[in-house]
Amino acid sequence: MSKYFFSILLLFAVFLVQSQEITTDTVKKEIRQEESKSKTTTKAVVEKTTDSVPVKKDRYGLRVGVDLYKLTRGLYDKDYKGVEFVGDFRLTKKYYLAAEIGIEDKTTDDDRLNSTATGTYLKGGFDYNMYNNWLDMENLITVGLRGGFSTFSQELNSYKIYNPDQYWGEIPPITEGEKYTGLTAAWAEVAVGMKAKVFNNIFVGFGVQLKLLLANKDPDGFENLYIPGFNRTYDGSFGVGFNYTVSYFIPLYKKQVIIPETEKKSPKK
Amino acid sequence: MKKILYFLLVFTFGLSGCEKDDICDANTPTTPRLIISFYDIKTPSVKKNVTRLKVVGKDQPEGIIFNEGGADITKYLTSGDSIAIPLKTDEDSTTFSFILNSDNTNPELANTDQITFNYSRQNVYVSRACGFKTIYKLNTQIPFVKIDSGNDGIWMQDVRVYNPNIEFENETHVKVFF
Repeated sequence: MSKYFFSILLLFAVFLVQSQEITTDTVKKEIRQEESKSKTTTKAVVEKTTDSVPVKKDRYGLRVGVDLYKLTRGLYDKDYKGVEFVGDFRLTKKYYLAAEIGIEDKTTDDDRLNSTATGTYLKGGFDYNMYNNWLDMENLITVGLRGGFSTFSQELNSYKIYNPDQYWGEIPPITEGEKYTGLTAAWAEVAVGMKAKVFNNIFVGFGVQLKLLLANKDPDGFENLYIPGFNRTYDGSFGVGFNYTVSYFIPLYKKQVIIPETEKKSPKK
Repeated sequence: MKKILYFLLVFTFGLSGCEKDDICDANTPTTPRLIISFYDIKTPSVKKNVTRLKVVGKDQPEGIIFNEGGADITKYLTSGDSIAIPLKTDEDSTTFSFILNSDNTNPELANTDQITFNYSRQNVYVSRACGFKTIYKLNTQIPFVKIDSGNDGIWMQDVRVYNPNIEFENETHVKVFF
């Protein structure tokens, strides 16, 4: 599926670049003959230039963005307010330093409990790009690891007493309003995601995260039902997350690509 | 790669779909009932079965159901040597009428005693699915007040608090000798 997705994106990208370069096309054609180094755009030219490998340069820099899922969720979910900023910095051809920082305010309304968790979190780690890009494309399919840390507070809004014997009837929920502050949690997560360059330096991407809770400071006489950044807690220590990001790439420098021999022999992608 | 993505998506949606399904397990210790055991007044170490005892909470139209499968009248009756009765979770005292021989054809044989249990309450967190439970502690000074309801004498000759901390249902809290 992802292959087709990128193929379509590639197609669009080709159109985009083509339409932009129409005016200079004639000029460039001549240069191409001499240098055969310039970045090519159409497939036809790609085939011609595979014999003499062009000097390819990868762009390195900082990508910053925002999680649209969290940002827009506040519009339709009255129990949620939150924002997450994402960033990554390209270290090597395949590795990226990656971090997320966010703030969340989430009211969890369970059958018997209603509580609100508020706090900030920071996640840091790296992404490994598994996708082999064509030419100057800069798409990513990443697998990464993160360490996450959150500091937050939790407020118990209301609760019900569970009484299997209903002889005296159901009593209404108790609204206590107790607030537990100074709570912390730490976790590790495996993040799988993809980012596609839609135009110029703008990327859109989505990712899912599997989380494993490592440390969790529960309040006295209660439990952390939601941890900002970690999301809902389950009986075990696992959690899941999702994000949909739009980010902007700030190019800082370029590095020449050294194409390994094996790749040259079987240029499948 | 594709497979991993699919797996993660399915996993994520699977989990989010489960959210509302977590049900409080019946085996989880939640709000306990008061466990009363009946003993022979003559030989206090020996348990004694009550005869057709009915327990009715004050201002309640019906008795406490002891026998789920029973008929209209018999489901409120017990002839065992111990009972479990619910205390109020929103008040610090609960009053019951203990009616011995309650369905006897001769009404004069029925004997009603009224007993009020006084306690303090504490709400304790159990889990996301169960919410909170209430645990009780019978008052040290006056844990109960026993009065004769009607002029048929008191059949519960001696009542003793055995364990004032009502937290679990697997232990006797109050012993009644008759």
